[in-house]
Amino acid sequence: MTLKTVGKSIIRVDAYSKVTGKALYPQDIYLDDMLYAKTLRSKVPHANIKIDTREAERQEGVVRIFTHKDVPLNEHGVVLKDHNVFAADKVRQIGAPIAFVVGESEEACINGMNKIKVEYEELPGVFDPLEAMKEGSPKVHGQSNIIYHYKLRCGDIEEGFKNCVAIAENTYTTHMQDHAFLQPEAGISYMEEDGTLVVAVATQYPHYDREEIARTLKLEEEKVKVINTNVGGAFGAREDITIQIHLALAALTLNRPVKVVFGREESFQAHSKRHPMVMKYKTGADKDGYLQAMEAEIVGDSGAYCSWAMNVLRKAGVHATGPYHIPNVKVDSYAVYTNNPFTGAMRGFGATQIPNAAEQQMDILAEKLGISPFEIRQKNIFKTGSKTATGQVLLESVPLDRCLEELVKRYDEFLKLKNVVDETIEEGVL
Amino acid sequence: MKKRGVGLGVSFYGTGYGNGFPDVSNAEVQLLEGGKVGIFVGATEVGQGAKTAMIQIGAEALNMDHKDIVLVSEDTSQMMDSGTAAATRQTYNTGNAVKIACENFNKRLFDLAKVELGLNSTAGLVAQDGDIYLGIFPQKRISYKDLSEKYKDDIIRVVGSFTAQTVKMDDETGQGAPYWPYTFNACMVLVEVDTNTGRVELLKAAFAQDVGRAVNPSLVKGQMDGGFAMSLGYTLFEDLALENGVMKNRKFSKYLLPTSMDMIDVENIIIEDPESTAPYGAKGIGEPVTIPIGPAILNAIYDASGVRIFNLPVTPEKLMKALRESEESEAI
Amino acid sequence: MMEIQLIINDINYKVDIDVNMRLIDLLRDKLGLTGTKEGCGEGECGACTIIMDGESVNSCLVMAFQANGSNIITIEGLENNGELDPIQRAYMEEGSVQCGFCIPGLIISTKALLDKHPNPTREEIREGMSGNLCRCTGYNKAIDAAQKAIEYLKEGQNDFKNSW
Repeated sequence: MTLKTVGKSIIRVDAYSKVTGKALYPQDIYLDDMLYAKTLRSKVPHANIKIDTREAERQEGVVRIFTHKDVPLNEHGVVLKDHNVFAADKVRQIGAPIAFVVGESEEACINGMNKIKVEYEELPGVFDPLEAMKEGSPKVHGQSNIIYHYKLRCGDIEEGFKNCVAIAENTYTTHMQDHAFLQPEAGISYMEEDGTLVVAVATQYPHYDREEIARTLKLEEEKVKVINTNVGGAFGAREDITIQIHLALAALTLNRPVKVVFGREESFQAHSKRHPMVMKYKTGADKDGYLQAMEAEIVGDSGAYCSWAMNVLRKAGVHATGPYHIPNVKVDSYAVYTNNPFTGAMRGFGATQIPNAAEQQMDILAEKLGISPFEIRQKNIFKTGSKTATGQVLLESVPLDRCLEELVKRYDEFLKLKNVVDETIEEGVL
Repeated sequence: MKKRGVGLGVSFYGTGYGNGFPDVSNAEVQLLEGGKVGIFVGATEVGQGAKTAMIQIGAEALNMDHKDIVLVSEDTSQMMDSGTAAATRQTYNTGNAVKIACENFNKRLFDLAKVELGLNSTAGLVAQDGDIYLGIFPQKRISYKDLSEKYKDDIIRVVGSFTAQTVKMDDETGQGAPYWPYTFNACMVLVEVDTNTGRVELLKAAFAQDVGRAVNPSLVKGQMDGGFAMSLGYTLFEDLALENGVMKNRKFSKYLLPTSMDMIDVENIIIEDPESTAPYGAKGIGEPVTIPIGPAILNAIYDASGVRIFNLPVTPEKLMKALRESEESEAI
Repeated sequence: MMEIQLIINDINYKVDIDVNMRLIDLLRDKLGLTGTKEGCGEGECGACTIIMDGESVNSCLVMAFQANGSNIITIEGLENNGELDPIQRAYMEEGSVQCGFCIPGLIISTKALLDKHPNPTREEIREGMSGNLCRCTGYNKAIDAAQKAIEYLKEGQNDFKNSW
């Protein structure tokens, strides 16, 4: 196939506006007569709350304070609707939004926010997902903290391990990561003359935002317009709703433009994180270096809300084998609520955590078998026609062998540089 | 003492929503005033290059200069829903929708050209650089500009839609075809571990990424560098210091992102093996590029120091502790 | 309130400011120069980098009154009558831009570096950019751009007409 444009490194269409500073992100939009807003957030991880905004409302420059009472349908979420637009009677994580203070200036909003009285009746919290799975643990939502259990069964796991001469059995953990995009959340909302409610934000999915705004505020979707400005990085953290409904509610109610801009700390508190995972692995290979069995139990900490937990732990489970053909596989992955900051989508979506375990398992097995890290991979990787543990046939475009071959070609060069230092150490130079 | 080691990491990544969930992308193509072509599609530009890639796919399908295409992806009242800019799905899913919409657009213009040019059939019509002409008699020709004027009261507007194919997995066995297509990659790094400080420094890296086909190689390599840096941060530095639900490190002075000094030049190798169901063979790579780097670093740390790190991140304190423990156990 | 005078991108300004106003707020909120970005508010990310009297500074750490009498260059000052600065041109051509939020700061830091050291090594460029965080690009293409800009500056090329 001869291609004219695909395959060419043309200059990005958005490069000019970005190198000149002309590209507008939501914080760069200023409208006449606009109001500012600040979000009051929970200071504790688990508590029953009572809110009193009366004194705050009387502060000079405060125009209106929005709380759960103002939201027609106080629930949202990408899969389960377990997020509140504003916490009503309970908070489940630090940073959960409680009130939205709208005022004539940012100072007025801060002043008003400081005068809101929140009475916290603290509840025992649970912060370790393994603890959270136990029966007697504090519950974050409902009767159980286990949101989801994915099961993968392929072959006969016990028989598989019988054929192994080398077995590696280890537990790995990964931590929470923040997306840390450079542009903190910001947005502006206003009414158009024909009654259309406009919300300008930086989002990954404007149509979803529109749906959630319309659903929670009981509006027709056609009456809501989401403008996606330039987006200053996302990496998964702009999938869940943060400011969209707050802004929409305020502009709709007050019929004036309302703008909110987060600082960095608030950004850390407001959006999702990468799921920490506990990964118990047992992997075995036969005497010829072929993988015969793999058993894994993976627990992902979803924090206080579900967000994409099911999909993330499903993805973790499906990818638990690594890109290897293994005839006998047993995987159980769980998504679990805790009172930690909620986790959700982040670049790699559950498949990023897994290889920190699975790939170390491969090297451990290679060492036990006395073969190289390359050899164990070359023997076991997916090739065209391979079948995954879920039974899916990889019919085409499976060039992992070629990827690996490129590294083999360069290995000597790496080894030379590695050994340089060994010699200098021996010579006492370093 | 400084010790060096080499490590490998390989991975696969299933793109798309997956698991039988309807993964639909839509695009609309319009003939604009003056003969330019508008593509209206909800493919959010988050920095990954969606706007540029969609324009390139559109330009290829329309056989015209990419500068004559205007892409609108910023306003829900103007563009169709193409799903989220996530799951590494825009290039494959929305790229397919754009390609289909452009092909439908061409067909529509051919029908109109047949009438305008007084032909019996659309057979042999060619679209090229904003003109439609008959291959065997190129004088029979009409420009997009002329068509846009003739049809200005009845704007030419054509849609295209693509739904990815996946099979929901069985609840008890997990059997099914949860994602399609898969993307593959492999990374090798050389690190230096300072056994006096616990610091890990990257010295060299080679990173091979399957892309199906690279729509824009410069964008692909930019993603590879960025994914590498994000994974480097994840593996070695970034720590929220979470304790009882409190993130102690929630500022950039405490939550350490990799700087230009932490990053190294990576040899990025693009592997092409076109996927037949993808637009011009192109698969997504946005997420996969973060995956194999961390494991390669972990394996390299072991190769250098003989210490396995089971808990991320590998902060200097943690590595020092592991090194001490390993020395102690050797002493016994 | 107090009045200060300063030059920004070759234009003289006389403005009333609050004593507790930061320079970044003066630029963005009062003068509409929104190309300068705020990413952290504590001088860690460099998105708000500007050049003040020849030195690159984080405008989130400078108070507006401290800029009284100073000469400032922001990202808006680099393009001249539709002609891009060679550094901007190089950033475009090398594919150094992704989400773009850090880019004005990175370009200004690159300019500050090249104004002082016209011929830095790749490692010196790395060092010169180390005050600017970027989450998308891994910096390498920005370093490529700086190296390309050095060539353009040597050749005296500044005829890059804007065609975007």
